Amino acid sequence: MSLSTREFELWVEKYRPKTLDEIVDQKEIVERLRKFVETKTMPHCLFAGPPGTGKTTAAHCLAHDLFGEDYRESFLELNASDERGIDVIRTTVKNFARSATLTDVPFKILVLDEADNLTADAQQALRRTMEKYTDTCRFILSCNYSNRIIEPIQSRTAIFRFTPLPPEDTYIYLKRICDAEGVKLTEDGARAIYEVAEGDLRKAVNTLQAAASLGKPIIADVVYDVVGWVHPKEVAEMMDYALKGDFSKSRSSLRMLLYQRGYAGSDIIKRMHSRIFELDVSEKQKIELINYLGEIDFRVAQGADEEVQISAFLARLALVGRGLG
Amino acid sequence: MSIPWIVKYRPKRVEEVVGNDDSKKKFIEWIESWVKGEPIRKAALLYGPAGVGKTSLVEAVAKTYGYDLVELNASDQRSETIIKRIVGIAASQGTLTGSATRRIILLDEVDGMSEEDRGGLKAIVEVLERTRQPIVLTANDAWDPKLTPLRSVCLMIEFKRLKQWEVVKKLRDICLKEGIEADREALEFIAKRSEGDLRSAINDLQIVAQGRMKITIEDVGWLPYRNRIEPIFDVLSIIFNAKTISTARRALSLIDIDPDMMFEWIYENLPSQLTDPKDLAVAMENLAKADLIRSRVKLFQRWDLLAFATEIMSGGVAVAREATKPRWTPFHFPERIKFLSSIKEERGVMDSIASKIASRCLTSKRTVISDVIPYILFMLMNNPDYGVKLLRNYDLTSSEIEFLKGKVGVGVVEAPRKRGRSAGG
Repeated sequence: MSLSTREFELWVEKYRPKTLDEIVDQKEIVERLRKFVETKTMPHCLFAGPPGTGKTTAAHCLAHDLFGEDYRESFLELNASDERGIDVIRTTVKNFARSATLTDVPFKILVLDEADNLTADAQQALRRTMEKYTDTCRFILSCNYSNRIIEPIQSRTAIFRFTPLPPEDTYIYLKRICDAEGVKLTEDGARAIYEVAEGDLRKAVNTLQAAASLGKPIIADVVYDVVGWVHPKEVAEMMDYALKGDFSKSRSSLRMLLYQRGYAGSDIIKRMHSRIFELDVSEKQKIELINYLGEIDFRVAQGADEEVQISAFLARLALVGRGLG
Repeated sequence: MSIPWIVKYRPKRVEEVVGNDDSKKKFIEWIESWVKGEPIRKAALLYGPAGVGKTSLVEAVAKTYGYDLVELNASDQRSETIIKRIVGIAASQGTLTGSATRRIILLDEVDGMSEEDRGGLKAIVEVLERTRQPIVLTANDAWDPKLTPLRSVCLMIEFKRLKQWEVVKKLRDICLKEGIEADREALEFIAKRSEGDLRSAINDLQIVAQGRMKITIEDVGWLPYRNRIEPIFDVLSIIFNAKTISTARRALSLIDIDPDMMFEWIYENLPSQLTDPKDLAVAMENLAKADLIRSRVKLFQRWDLLAFATEIMSGGVAVAREATKPRWTPFHFPERIKFLSSIKEERGVMDSIASKIASRCLTSKRTVISDVIPYILFMLMNNPDYGVKLLRNYDLTSSEIEFLKGKVGVGVVEAPRKRGRSAGG
């Protein structure tokens, strides 16, 4: 890639660590992965941890250090939430595992991201596939929650727990980027980024790049501007309208999120879920709301209409807001 | 929608009544014969389809000739004694005192009188024979056998469906007064659809015009052909006010409409019809359950389940009404239909964009849509030149870039103005 196009790259791509050495955080994990490289041997792995903590990046770095610059010939990454069903995954794995490897490493690596999005049945099928190709292929499954991975898979993998980045590590990454890009980031600006990213490096770097696009020194207020715009405050707004009893306005916000912002209903539900805890209602009501939202989430997953289902929740929220629910 | 346009634009002068010129002339001659004191007939029966101006003409004429209008219509109770009392008094009093109070007695929709009102009909005939004030009757079907005794004593005046250009002209006048710019084709479409029923045309125009200053053919395309059995508003009105599930369910059979479309109408109008929060929450939950069944119908091809869905979506809404007071509220067209038709296409474009970015950012399309694209939109908005170059670098086509630009350009989301912590989400 030429220099000029790199100028217009997303910084999450441009400054992604390429080798294990470039990874600043997750020290114990990196240490163990280095051992795999030294011995040219590894088990199936399960990378568990919140978003933006480097699970996929670590897999790529591991492959790079194992197979060299052209590691992608021995490396395949699939995303469970994007692939259409376990059959597609199985066929892809079969074709990938069958072809011979060109390196002195006796196996290839297959990464399956967001494996916790697979149903239990699909995971069972995946387990059989893992066993079948275990001679030629090592699997790295990544997930946000390891408890959503069936036990037979958990027992067959080495589990690595990725933790949210501590502030110091986040600052090291941000400073590295700012130096290279000639961007001025103040101390309070950096603190603000950490505060909003909460250890999610993808979020931190995206926030930094968006703030830098304004072309002025990045102080805390600039960061909050970015976040205020990017992070859908509409979810909060939507719930507030409902709590105040204005269902119609609440529904309009929902429509904007769904049809203009293009969010998936399940993502909106996820954000609503985390906001329930901050609502000014009794603990008992929160439990009722969580229970109802869980039901709504399930219906949406079954193929019911996202807007109608979430609207039903908002109507319930409006009732709770009036102290009637 | 503050006041319905059919009320706002009700004709005040005879000239403002649209169409049916011969009938108008005949009716005015008859009133003038009363003014001169030599009435041709004691009563006139104006008949013809709904919404062609029968009642409007009577109202406008009364105003022009200085008559008070005493009105009784089909929805009122019309027992014999009530009719005798009201009509009888109204028919004699004015001339007895010799005062200037002249009255036209209007009995609207006489063909709507039920069998139990037979006594009422007899009473009308009696009153007609001794009235000293003009009595006007209206009916959709003048040849209904039960009206036979009336026909012989009334001056019969027929009203025809309005011509398309007459309806268009009136619609244009209204648009002019409302400051709305309307395409000719759009108005013609509404007029054609109304089948000469000006009232329904004006209603449709108002719904289409809500919140718009401009109306094009695209805006009216969704208007389904009005079913002559029961227009959608009447069906909705029954469902929202029904006391029993069977009434609500039966209302669905009065109209030829796709159940999904019916669902949308009910769902859209729920918050304005059921204003009590408890009623709304219960109705909304029932609708959500109906929706769940509906999705199973499609998923498992179980068409036999559809009956359950339609019962819950109609009856479930009807029974939810407990605390909401009855109050007439206008119905709205389901806004999201417009979104739904474009959403599939939109998601396709979004998917293509996300997959281009996802493969290089080593993450899923879903993560890109929720966690990466919003930041790109921010850059695109604040630094368009940089944003576009960045997107080109990810091999987005020009139309895909335009699509994203549209997302920040349409005023969907405001530029950051708020400062400080409160801006955080």
